[in-house]
Amino acid sequence: MADQSPILARLDAALTDALADWNIYTTLFAGILVAFAFYAVVSNKDPDVHPFLLARQSTASPIRQSGESATYRSLETPYGLPLRQGLNVKDVGAPKWTAGRRGDLRDVWKSAVRGALNENGISTGKQGKIYTVLGKKSIEHSLDQVTQEINVIGGHIQKSEVKTVAVCLTDSIELLAAIFAGSFYGFKVVLVPHNLPAETLSGHLQNAKADALIAEAGSLDLSFVTKGNKQLSLVIWVAKDGNRHMDWHEVPEDVKGGLEVAVWHELVQEGKDLAGFNVPKYDPTTPAPEVSTVWPSESPSGEFIDFKQENLVAAIGALGSTLPRNQRFSPSDLVFSIDSLSRSYPLCQILNALFSNASIALNSVAGENVDFALATNGVSPTVIVASSRTMSEYHEGVMKPHTGLVSSFGRWVQSRTLNAGNMPPKGFFRQLAQIGPTAELSLQKLRLLCISHRVDADASVRLSSEQLTDLRIYTGARILYALTGPGIAGAIAQTNVFDYRCLGGPSHFGGPLSSTEVTLTGVSESQVAGDSLPEGQIMVTGPAVVDGKTTLSARARISADHTLELSS
Amino acid sequence: MTIATPINLTLLSLVGVLLYWHFRPKQPTTLPRAPAPIVFRTYTPKTLIEFNGENDRPVFLAVRGRVFDVSPGRHFYGPGGPYENFAGRDASRGLAHQSFDEDMLTKDLSAPLDTLEDLDADPLENLQSWEERFNEKYLVVGKLVAEGDPEAPAS
Repeated sequence: MADQSPILARLDAALTDALADWNIYTTLFAGILVAFAFYAVVSNKDPDVHPFLLARQSTASPIRQSGESATYRSLETPYGLPLRQGLNVKDVGAPKWTAGRRGDLRDVWKSAVRGALNENGISTGKQGKIYTVLGKKSIEHSLDQVTQEINVIGGHIQKSEVKTVAVCLTDSIELLAAIFAGSFYGFKVVLVPHNLPAETLSGHLQNAKADALIAEAGSLDLSFVTKGNKQLSLVIWVAKDGNRHMDWHEVPEDVKGGLEVAVWHELVQEGKDLAGFNVPKYDPTTPAPEVSTVWPSESPSGEFIDFKQENLVAAIGALGSTLPRNQRFSPSDLVFSIDSLSRSYPLCQILNALFSNASIALNSVAGENVDFALATNGVSPTVIVASSRTMSEYHEGVMKPHTGLVSSFGRWVQSRTLNAGNMPPKGFFRQLAQIGPTAELSLQKLRLLCISHRVDADASVRLSSEQLTDLRIYTGARILYALTGPGIAGAIAQTNVFDYRCLGGPSHFGGPLSSTEVTLTGVSESQVAGDSLPEGQIMVTGPAVVDGKTTLSARARISADHTLELSS
Repeated sequence: MTIATPINLTLLSLVGVLLYWHFRPKQPTTLPRAPAPIVFRTYTPKTLIEFNGENDRPVFLAVRGRVFDVSPGRHFYGPGGPYENFAGRDASRGLAHQSFDEDMLTKDLSAPLDTLEDLDADPLENLQSWEERFNEKYLVVGKLVAEGDPEAPAS
């Protein structure tokens, strides 16, 4: 009659039978089960950012023109709100409730010299530092010293009544001083990439109608340059430590009388006592002159981009505000650019660092194509600004070949954390992952890697999302990946710093910055009507764009998560 | 002592399930597609009149050549509302005079647009404030041109 016994009794009997089989293996399995369940609960963390913010990274306008996509904007400045215009500078003594000024480069330097503010907005007087990296060593400069150079050189150029100054220097404090001197002393600065052949440089000077030139002593043949540039009336040589003993005052025969040749360090030496350490007084309502850069293009001469101060400050403000508060540049940061300051993204990031009172480091070899390991040798930065070419070549050439089995296992563990939306903590697995790929780096403090990609650069240097994941794991830094274009200060779009998703294929570029808005033009109506993603030429408008609007020849797509993606 | 007892097998499969649950590949979060944006169009009085809110169609009205989608304010501008005369029409003159009468509208839909040239400063100011209000609240979905204007879409 066992069949008719109550169901509970039968269950009890079955359980007793099962438990009767309990042996050492059972204990083992039960132990594993409990331990794993415990681990799963303990290791569970909230992602760094709410997944919905990554699922839709920009806002689309509710209306569009025929043949165009909707206009996409950063989440900070949605449709109907004004785009970011500038730095929002609050002058001392201005009423608290007034909106800040847009500001210009003079305000950037002024706030760098003023030092960091505490929570109450009172200056603590703690200034950032400037380091110049030379191979394995770095030299420290104080901001006051640079202010002095700004005053001396600016004063000298002002006296010479020069309107346009071409600056052809490697990244150095002289380059920085020249840029700020232009803003304070009222002359236009044209940043010409260094290492150009003499004919190209001469052509640039003609195009820019430069009447003064600041260049590295011995880097170019002056008689050749002056031949094609009769308007040139002042040349300032910047002599490196090693060749300061030489006489650089020689003037080519045919322009004697019309041309003044001076040497930077001698001018500074002479004018030092008169110039003083104070930031020159200025009237914020008077506009500061433009800063021009050269955009490399198909033609050997490149394309001149005249950035108004408004363009630059909008970009600097947007680059600063786009980062979440705890990721912004702070006085404890050391921002190091291994990409040339004659390019607008590194320039704006460095200016952003100065405005945020961070320390900065400059490297004379900086450029679009540098050896990442060598360039970062002499300094331990918290933020690195680099180009996509530099990073892609380092990844292909060094990281990938040096990833062994052990590193791959470490990478796998860490990429799981990344996919869950968390930056992997420093620890055992990170060390495991970094054994091979970054053995030669000494970037202990690195927390942020700002990578910019030129819209017209070679498609092979575009970083894939796999590569970005690798870079996050192997360097232990978060990544900003930005798209830059001619005529746009800073960047068009930039990834969210907390976006660790690995979606496969070439990486997207996030949403537009708050100083730009992006519309795709030349979109076929049939495509929009269907369910497919709009694809067309990138049209960028906004305060960071020279003349307010530009259309690039490159084609792009807006993905389902409202990020900008270049079409291949 | 054997491994293959029922309780061991149960525990083992539980471990398996838990492992799979923990390490299973996860898809990133996605949101549903946003509503498709409205296409900016050029209207003439004859095409605009379709959008008078009847039969659940959207309610449009034009102010000084700009067409606003006032569907969110259907209770005011739609059928049965106090401003229903404006639905699908050029409302500039009516808004300027603060009058909702039929005679404020241009009767002949093929006529050129009302230039409002005879208006004084006061009604113009009134119109201005209406326009600002519309700009804040409603979307501009198109522009209004007269019938036969070179910009008018061929019908």
